[in-house]
Amino acid sequence: MSTQIWRGADLMMRSACCRTIRSPSSEQPGAERTSPSSALTHRNLSAVAVQGQSRPLCRYDSLDLGEVEENVRRALACKKIRHFIVNPDLAELVTQHLRPENGRSVIFECNPGPGVLTRTLLNAGAQRVVALEGDKLFLRDLQELEGRLDGQLEVVHCDYFKLDPIGVGNLRPPVMYTDKLFTDLGISEASWTDDIPVKVVGILPLRNERGTLLKMVYALFERQSVYRYGRVELNLFISEKEYLKLVSRPGEMMQYRAFSVLWQMACDIELLHKEPWESFVKSSKQRMPSSKNQLPNEHLCLVRLRPRADLFSGGLTPTNASTLLMMVKQCLAKRKVKLIDRLNLWSPDSGSKLLSEMGMLEDILTGHVYPEEYLRLFQLIDKSQEFTQSWLYEEILENPQREGWG
Amino acid sequence: MVLLILPAKLHLFPVQSRTSFCNVVYSHWIFFSLSVLKARIQQLQPDVVLDVHHANVQFVKAPSSGRGVSSGKGPKVAPKEKTDIPKSGKTLKAASKSKTSRWMEKLTREKKNKLTKEERLPQKIQKNVKEKPSGKSKGSKSGSALPGTSHKVISSAAPLVKGRARTKLSDEIRAAVSSTEVGTTAAAATVHKGPKGKQKASKKQGPVKEGKRQTEAKEPAEEMEKSLDQQGSRWTLSSNPQRPEEEEEDVEVAAAACGDVQLSIRSYLEACVFAGDVERAHSFLLSQHRVRSRRKLLNTDFYNIMMRVWAKKVKEAGLKPNLGSYCTALECMGRNPGCQPKLITRCLRQMEEDGLSADDLFSQCVFRQDERDMVLKAVHLVQPDYKPRLHARAAQCPSLRADHQYPKLDFTQEELQERFRQQLRLEEDCTVTIDSVEAAKPVTDHMRKLLADHRAQWQKILLQALRESKMILANTNTKDYRLNLYPYLCVLEDREYVDIMIQSVASLPPSGESLKILGRDLGHRVYTKYCVQQKQQNQVVEKLRNIYNAYTDLLAKDTKECIVLPSEYWGRLEREQSSGPSLQGGETHWPYIVSVELGIYMVDMMVKNLKMNSDVLNPAFERKLIPILYHMYTFRNTRQVGFIKPHPILIQMQQDAMESKLTFDSYVMPMLCPPVPWTSVKFGAYLLTPSKLMRTVEGATQHEVLLEKCQNLLPVLDSLNQLGNCAWSINKPLLDIIISIFNDRGSDKLDIPPPLSEAPKIPHFNAQDPAYTSAEKAHMKRDVINAKKKCSEMHSLRMDALYKLSIANHMRDEIFWFPHNMDFRGRTYPCPPYFNHLGSDVTRALLLFAEGKPLGPKGLDWLKIHLVNLTGLKKRSSLEGRLEYANSIMEDVLDSADNPLNGNKWWMNADEPWQALGCCMEIANAVRSPDPTNFISNFPVHQDGSCNGLQHYAALGRDVIGATSVNLMPCEMPQDVYSGVAQQVEEFRVRDAQSGMKIAQVLEGFISRKVVKQTVMTVVYGVTRYGGRLQIEKRLKEIEDFPKEHVWDASHYLVRMVFSGLKEMFTGTREIQLSWKMEARAHRSVTVHVVYICCLTIQLINLQISHDAKEPDTVKQKNAFPPNFIHSLDSTHMMLTALHCYSAGLTFVSVHDCFWTHALTVDTMNKICREQFVALHSQPILRELSDFLLQKYCTGLP
Repeated sequence: MSTQIWRGADLMMRSACCRTIRSPSSEQPGAERTSPSSALTHRNLSAVAVQGQSRPLCRYDSLDLGEVEENVRRALACKKIRHFIVNPDLAELVTQHLRPENGRSVIFECNPGPGVLTRTLLNAGAQRVVALEGDKLFLRDLQELEGRLDGQLEVVHCDYFKLDPIGVGNLRPPVMYTDKLFTDLGISEASWTDDIPVKVVGILPLRNERGTLLKMVYALFERQSVYRYGRVELNLFISEKEYLKLVSRPGEMMQYRAFSVLWQMACDIELLHKEPWESFVKSSKQRMPSSKNQLPNEHLCLVRLRPRADLFSGGLTPTNASTLLMMVKQCLAKRKVKLIDRLNLWSPDSGSKLLSEMGMLEDILTGHVYPEEYLRLFQLIDKSQEFTQSWLYEEILENPQREGWG
Repeated sequence: MVLLILPAKLHLFPVQSRTSFCNVVYSHWIFFSLSVLKARIQQLQPDVVLDVHHANVQFVKAPSSGRGVSSGKGPKVAPKEKTDIPKSGKTLKAASKSKTSRWMEKLTREKKNKLTKEERLPQKIQKNVKEKPSGKSKGSKSGSALPGTSHKVISSAAPLVKGRARTKLSDEIRAAVSSTEVGTTAAAATVHKGPKGKQKASKKQGPVKEGKRQTEAKEPAEEMEKSLDQQGSRWTLSSNPQRPEEEEEDVEVAAAACGDVQLSIRSYLEACVFAGDVERAHSFLLSQHRVRSRRKLLNTDFYNIMMRVWAKKVKEAGLKPNLGSYCTALECMGRNPGCQPKLITRCLRQMEEDGLSADDLFSQCVFRQDERDMVLKAVHLVQPDYKPRLHARAAQCPSLRADHQYPKLDFTQEELQERFRQQLRLEEDCTVTIDSVEAAKPVTDHMRKLLADHRAQWQKILLQALRESKMILANTNTKDYRLNLYPYLCVLEDREYVDIMIQSVASLPPSGESLKILGRDLGHRVYTKYCVQQKQQNQVVEKLRNIYNAYTDLLAKDTKECIVLPSEYWGRLEREQSSGPSLQGGETHWPYIVSVELGIYMVDMMVKNLKMNSDVLNPAFERKLIPILYHMYTFRNTRQVGFIKPHPILIQMQQDAMESKLTFDSYVMPMLCPPVPWTSVKFGAYLLTPSKLMRTVEGATQHEVLLEKCQNLLPVLDSLNQLGNCAWSINKPLLDIIISIFNDRGSDKLDIPPPLSEAPKIPHFNAQDPAYTSAEKAHMKRDVINAKKKCSEMHSLRMDALYKLSIANHMRDEIFWFPHNMDFRGRTYPCPPYFNHLGSDVTRALLLFAEGKPLGPKGLDWLKIHLVNLTGLKKRSSLEGRLEYANSIMEDVLDSADNPLNGNKWWMNADEPWQALGCCMEIANAVRSPDPTNFISNFPVHQDGSCNGLQHYAALGRDVIGATSVNLMPCEMPQDVYSGVAQQVEEFRVRDAQSGMKIAQVLEGFISRKVVKQTVMTVVYGVTRYGGRLQIEKRLKEIEDFPKEHVWDASHYLVRMVFSGLKEMFTGTREIQLSWKMEARAHRSVTVHVVYICCLTIQLINLQISHDAKEPDTVKQKNAFPPNFIHSLDSTHMMLTALHCYSAGLTFVSVHDCFWTHALTVDTMNKICREQFVALHSQPILRELSDFLLQKYCTGLP
């Protein structure tokens, strides 16, 4: 019993030293919806503020968002299971969080559909929006809009979440490689510590949410795919269930998994907004997957994942990152095993030395170690001579689905 | 004396149910329980205390062990730390220090201390125990209320009996009684009064004993209840996806799940009994019995298991009406020399009242050792001239009967008997060690010796670890939530477990193995060995020898003609020699979960204990003890899979040592004598090694249940027996050539896998090197991955070939047999996994019929035609055309035969080069013999079915055009559907190319028969566009000139064309297929697999209920039904052909749709084959299927 308490206390103490995940305290479900009227004024205000300042090229005062019913009808015509932002208030809210009017980042909007958010973004003064639409159905209208504007909007037939496929064969849109996309758009590679070049906004496809997230975080650590072009910031709606897993903390043995650790290690994670599922238009009649475990799943959460600028400053490099990935995955395959056993497995008898260097208890469990601590642990391992013979370095994540970047 | 009076008294006592039976039994029980009592009291002195003590230890230890946290979950795949191995803190700390040798010493010392302490503890605890029952045991223990239930009744009736015996007895009688409903109510009536009397009695008479019983009862009850509960839920979970929708089927599955739990209880009991741990088995059964929910799962057989043991121990037993229990009761009487005939008469009378006859007893019960004789002896006491009448099996179907005679094997009886002895010896050893064909290579002995030294050391370490962990397991019961593996660790000698483990290290692939698979294999090996030993212990071997020796009458050439089939003959022999143990049905299959857990336990032991120095190979490394196996995870999609990998140093050592010996399980080898004929679902094939008639996915018990229900399986069994009775030998000249290439550098072209030294080097690069750009690094990394993948593929191919060739080499001068079994569709397979005639071109080429037959007038022609067929040329020529072609290339043929490796190597370009080479040699020999017609040939000539699936479809649909294209219609030229489709596709392509389609233009000149063949063949078996595309992609990749960048598009295009081409050619066929798809959709959760078990009529349609109740996978079903159905038809046809060939005296073997026979008899076989096809399709197959489906699924509809 005493060890349990001790462990808990230890966890609390260590947590104080570690970065926590920010989430807006005021935004409780239901309470955070801005009332239509206030949103409306806000939009008008921003439209007024924007006029004559940062949208000199626009010939129109404000883009018409279109009738809600019409947009819903168009969204419903989509054959794939997708969610759409059609509600103007919601679009406005997302736009506020993105702050398109200041900053020089390009905004990638994934799968805009009827384009409500696209127009809202432009109305809010976005300098450059790239609409990546995977469904031909919506392309024509978007391209038409593109033609009416003066370069603020570019439309590409591309599915952001299918970038850089693993299979062979020739590609056809919407699947494409990142380098082609970025070259076409004229975005060049940037240093990791530079400003954020691209903000991505969209809804994470429900099918295989976890897989997509994993794929993206692998790419991040190895600086492949979009992350070759700098710290791409994601602003994604993900299901509440998956969000809770993403931000779970040590000690939550059921949720605390490798992918949470990796994301928390790599990014500042901020919950911007929670919106009930009903606010989105859904294109298929299929029922929502009900949450099987205890985690609530009533909302889609708008989450900002901004890669840390200092991620690669402490000895981590895109090349040895794959070993870090391997280490974290091996450690958190089971959360209730002792960390020391894992370490000894990789290099016999070096566990206790490492732990004492880390200032950890001998019997700490893998599920009780913070992401930052894993990173530090890896840096120690990487420096240590004892691990050079370890098989950990020999292993490569063999996963036919995700080995995209080798 | 008391005992003799008792039965009379018992008449007075008012037991409501089964009075007379109980009486009979009762007297025996008393006998028995008294002696049990004595024996137990003796055992008790040390035992009790240990057990009780253990409860205490657990209690103290519990909080620190942390087990509470990790338990309560579902199946544990990974071996979790056993907190109970080294006793807690001290040793763990010691372990973390690196001074290994010292702490090992310390550890052992501590362990010893611990154990001796444990033994000393008794006195203290004994006191506790004594107080317990006298103190406040009445009803306070949940377990104690139940066992005494019927006690009151008995004690009032028999006050003279000692208390000890009574409690015992009451338990048992209750056990028996409660399995009928009447019994339960009767017992229930007395529940309230029970415990008191019992407690009193026990307090006076045997406090120690009672104390033990208390703890014992509580302890295993909890332990097993929990572990079984867990299992139960685990099973229900795992069977979840298979739950059907319909209610009746629901019940079936529920029964199946429950059957699993029962199986697990049963195998636990049997393992305990086998290991001689009767106490454990007994207390376990009691614990099950005490918990009401558990009791529902028990049936009489469980009690019978225990009674059987007791019967032997005390020459007394008895019990509750089911054949098995009467049987045991009679056995006890038989064993008891002073048994009164009155008792036996009463027993027999009771049996008759229950509608059972003595004949049933002998025909249906399973006997071990001398049990049968004992029962017979008891019956003879009252009916001296009784002779059991055994029912002959159902008569053979008449159509096959028609005065045929069956072929004999070319051996004398004595030879066969000698072969039997060899095979028996082999199987008794369970493993066989043979020379590797790589052995001939000169290798420095240094590494071999090093490895051998290590192995010896590992053996020692494992042995010690096993003993220690067993010692701990034996005493760790109380709060263990896992299935207790202890009895399963006792069924073999310690040494044998260790050997199994060491062997598994040697055969571990370098890329590692999934923990579950490794565990399953280990568990299975233990099980096999245990089965064999069980048979030896039950004196089955002796009887088997007698029957087999007599059975050789049927097969040997020097005995008189016989017109019965092997299975019939064997059955008759078994009836004739019915004394002694029964041959079949003796063993209980261990449930999957048990073998896996046992295996994982062993793997865990290996991972923990097997170490070596890290500087073994490279002295530059710092010396550390490193584990040779490590447990890690791999990730597949979102699943994680536990993996056991060998340490790179171990891989290096094993590869360098290139061992000269290979060790296999005995069933991997072909049999040295004709296999035991299948006579029932459970018995056949190998002599001692357990074998399954039907190959199933692990845990798919429905198939087995259905199979057992099948009424008329005989034709199927007979055809399997016939396939198994074919004797084989090795084509030695060919084997030598192949081995020489194998030991040289292999050859990809000839399908001889090259050694690993030929593998691409894994590129090595320094990740930190700044000279490379990140893109280059990524590229190199990908190369590394690809190289690794290639290496592990090459290794597995190489090992597979090594096994096959080594086995072939070992068998080079032998004559051998392949026992057969089948899958659920009726496709037949040889049992030995590596080397058999189903294998690749290489293994097929190595096999010859052991029996030779003259070529006869047309034999040589057939050999030549066969050769042309093997080349894959002249597919559209008539037989005459092929023969002509063969004659035109005779020069090449002879050259190939004479100078296979140095000549002009014509044979190497054939489709099946090795078989072609074998055929060349045979032709050369025949041509050069003085009289080719009398040339004795052992060479099997193949007759390939031409696209059997489509044939069946076409025949079912009575589709004339389709039928023509698959050679069902008489035709000048043999038709080739593949070429036809290829031609059709080519037409499409030309059309598209003209209309400017780019991919169609690219494909110009690449569309060949080979490209479309596999897809066309598999379309009937339900291949989808997706799969079809993959197949075509593979073919296109093989074409060297084909531009790689177009592969994807081209395959996509081609598969579309193939499908539409087929649609045009087979109109009726597609309709059937479509309607079947509809049908499956309509039935939603119903997959039908139809096992046609045939006798010219459809005899049995087996319906298999598909699984998942929640989301029936209609896509899968509609796709799975037609191919399974067609496969069944196909195998039905094969079996029919096999049986008829057998009765015509032919040698016949099949590789699914390719039939083999001697050149002499090809014509006969072809005739039979055609006749059977017509006969099969003359049956209104579709109508019967539809009737059946209607009846089964549409009864509710108007």
